[in-house]
Amino acid sequence: MGTINTAFSVIAQALDADQAALNVVANNVANANTQGYTTENPNFQENQPLEIGGVSFGDGVTETGATSVRDRVLNERLDQQQQVASSTGSRLTALNTVQALFTPDSGSSSATAGDISSDLTGFFNSFSSLEANPTDESLREEVLSSASTLAADVSNAAASLNSQRSALDQEASGVTSQVNSLTSAIAQLDQQIQSTSPDADAGTLEDQRQQDLSQLSQLIGVNQITTENNGLSVTTTSGQPLVSEGQSFQLTTGSVDGVTHFFVGGTDITGQLTSGGGELGGYLTARDHDIPSALSSLDQLTYNVSTQVNALNNAGTDLDGNTGAVVPPGTVASTLDIFSAPPGLAAGSATGSAVAMSVVMTNPNQIAAAGAGLGTGDSSNATAIAALANQSIVNGETPTNYYANFVSQLGATVSNVQTENTAANASVTQLQTQSNALSSVNLNDEASAMSTFERSYQAASQVFTILNTVMASALNLGEQSTVS
Amino acid sequence: MQVDPSYVTNLVSSLDQAQANQQQLTAELSSGVAITSLSQNPVASGQNVLLLNQIQQDDSFTQSTNLVTGQLQVADSTLGSVVSQLTQAISLATQANNGTENSSDVQSISSQLSGILDEVQSLANTSYQGQYIFSGGQTSTTPFTTSSAISPAATTYSGDSDINYLVTPNGQKIQLNVPGSQIFLGSGANSVFGALNALVADYSSGTVDTAQAVSDTSALSTALNYVSQQRVTIDNSISQVTAAGDAVTNAQTQLTSAQTSLMQADVGQVSTELSLSETQQTALEDVIAQMESSSNDLFSKLQ
Repeated sequence: MGTINTAFSVIAQALDADQAALNVVANNVANANTQGYTTENPNFQENQPLEIGGVSFGDGVTETGATSVRDRVLNERLDQQQQVASSTGSRLTALNTVQALFTPDSGSSSATAGDISSDLTGFFNSFSSLEANPTDESLREEVLSSASTLAADVSNAAASLNSQRSALDQEASGVTSQVNSLTSAIAQLDQQIQSTSPDADAGTLEDQRQQDLSQLSQLIGVNQITTENNGLSVTTTSGQPLVSEGQSFQLTTGSVDGVTHFFVGGTDITGQLTSGGGELGGYLTARDHDIPSALSSLDQLTYNVSTQVNALNNAGTDLDGNTGAVVPPGTVASTLDIFSAPPGLAAGSATGSAVAMSVVMTNPNQIAAAGAGLGTGDSSNATAIAALANQSIVNGETPTNYYANFVSQLGATVSNVQTENTAANASVTQLQTQSNALSSVNLNDEASAMSTFERSYQAASQVFTILNTVMASALNLGEQSTVS
Repeated sequence: MQVDPSYVTNLVSSLDQAQANQQQLTAELSSGVAITSLSQNPVASGQNVLLLNQIQQDDSFTQSTNLVTGQLQVADSTLGSVVSQLTQAISLATQANNGTENSSDVQSISSQLSGILDEVQSLANTSYQGQYIFSGGQTSTTPFTTSSAISPAATTYSGDSDINYLVTPNGQKIQLNVPGSQIFLGSGANSVFGALNALVADYSSGTVDTAQAVSDTSALSTALNYVSQQRVTIDNSISQVTAAGDAVTNAQTQLTSAQTSLMQADVGQVSTELSLSETQQTALEDVIAQMESSSNDLFSKLQ
């Protein structure tokens, strides 16, 4: 009788195990579309066999619980690549807005509006026209109006760059609260995982933590370090701890020199975050490098063009026979300035020149087409100012060449970031595919597993029925009776 | 390893890309412009700035040439009139010098010469668009005035010796004016007004000092030659301006065609790409439709 009872126990365990396995499959199917869910596989374990009189008897099977199918290394690589992709992505968005200010001029007259290069050429051309007829009022008006167009377009572009910069600043500081809520969620999950499952995979809790980590990776650049008892430490890419020992360290913001800086504790980690990656890294790179560099190019251009043109105009004779006061830069306003003096003129600094560019001259008679001490019909000074267009007055280049190089460089930067972004996204897609192939629920697999476990369950229950008959025969000693 | 079950997501993102690509191509077709942002082709964008700069410079120069050609032609025809006036003056003087004219005839020649003098002076004071063309840089000052307080009368020049130039886009300088002092008041025997004033004085009394008059007449001839030489400068400028204008127009045509091929969309190429992209999109949509259809699901076969 003992052996039949043992057989019952073995088969009952098989039924339980199959039932548990079917539950795991059902759970997988139910969560097939749950974001971040990792598919689980049932585990079967052979029970310790019984040894009686030197003979070993099998003791059935137990389902010991489900294991999530995950690859931590793959996930970490995915997170890292995600940081690069979102950093280049947000930088690219910012750069696209920047380059929209400098759309290439197709050459048709309607498209030239707002184009700084054609403004520059137009301005110097107006002086060339003045060479032919230096006393013509309408040509003089033309000089002032082309100067105004140039000044307006340059200062508009610079103002737009500044406002894009502050918009990026706001977006960057908006990221902080998301980062903080994610790090505290990770810290909490860490505590739960460490207490409930210190030496094994924690299933959905770990799914949740992984999910939070990949969201965090989209926002900022982080490193993850697995610690004892299944814990996790998160630091910035340069090592500033954000989550450690189940505790999160909050990111705070503060204004330094008019822009938002980021702190953990008392440490300013803005520089680390800029190079770190994630959306924030992209915003900060655009805010602190790309836009300031475009602005400084415009500043250089404006500073040199305004000061050189002003200096020459002051050195000539205007239509009323007056000569401008040639004064050392910045001491007093010169009388025949066409453009407003750049704000950094006294210090010799170009900073802020572009946004402040404006035309101060209102009387076209004040344009000094004639050379110093010459009759008003002379045009040598107009020739000299027109010649500035072909002189290396801006950092060793002509104004137009300088602007051409500037747009080429800007375009090349955008194009590089675009390429980086495409590559990073492709890499993310590939890693995501690998990770999905491993960890996400494949309904066809689940269908086949379900079918297998069902068959196994049916087989076990069949054996159970047979055992039941055997048991009844044994109880009735071979006779037909009511016990069947 | 199993197949990534979320392949549909990947297919959809491919579909998005194909659509973005089509949008870009359609924009190129409708605007005719291949490069709509700097990053599409940074080098071409930079080149475009330089090309447009040159095209605009050429354009502006062409406009200037029209303006200066008018002024130069006025100067040229004025000097032409001066030459014919002076030729007439020389023949009158020669007539007076041949000793056959009586006193009243000589006086009449003197007054005719005086008329020529006035005429030449008014030609020398010609203005173009309100600006005197023979006064150097002092274009608002009447360049020549004659004072008859002394005999012979003296013509003075109030302009200066300033010369204006037009600079072509490739840096060539074309002279735009010749100062009046250089044409009409050359040094020594080259002075038109000096010779004319002297002749008027020579004949004003009716008696001719033949030696003096012959000498003054030959001075006038010398001055006439000198004016013709100065006129050559103006003529040279006219032909230089015309030649430079033609060269610039040619250059502009070349530059425009370079700029066009740099920036404009190749309709044939773009259309082909667009059609390819559309085919790709249709294929992707078909694949997605087939993949998504429930009959492929193993669960549906387990009924």
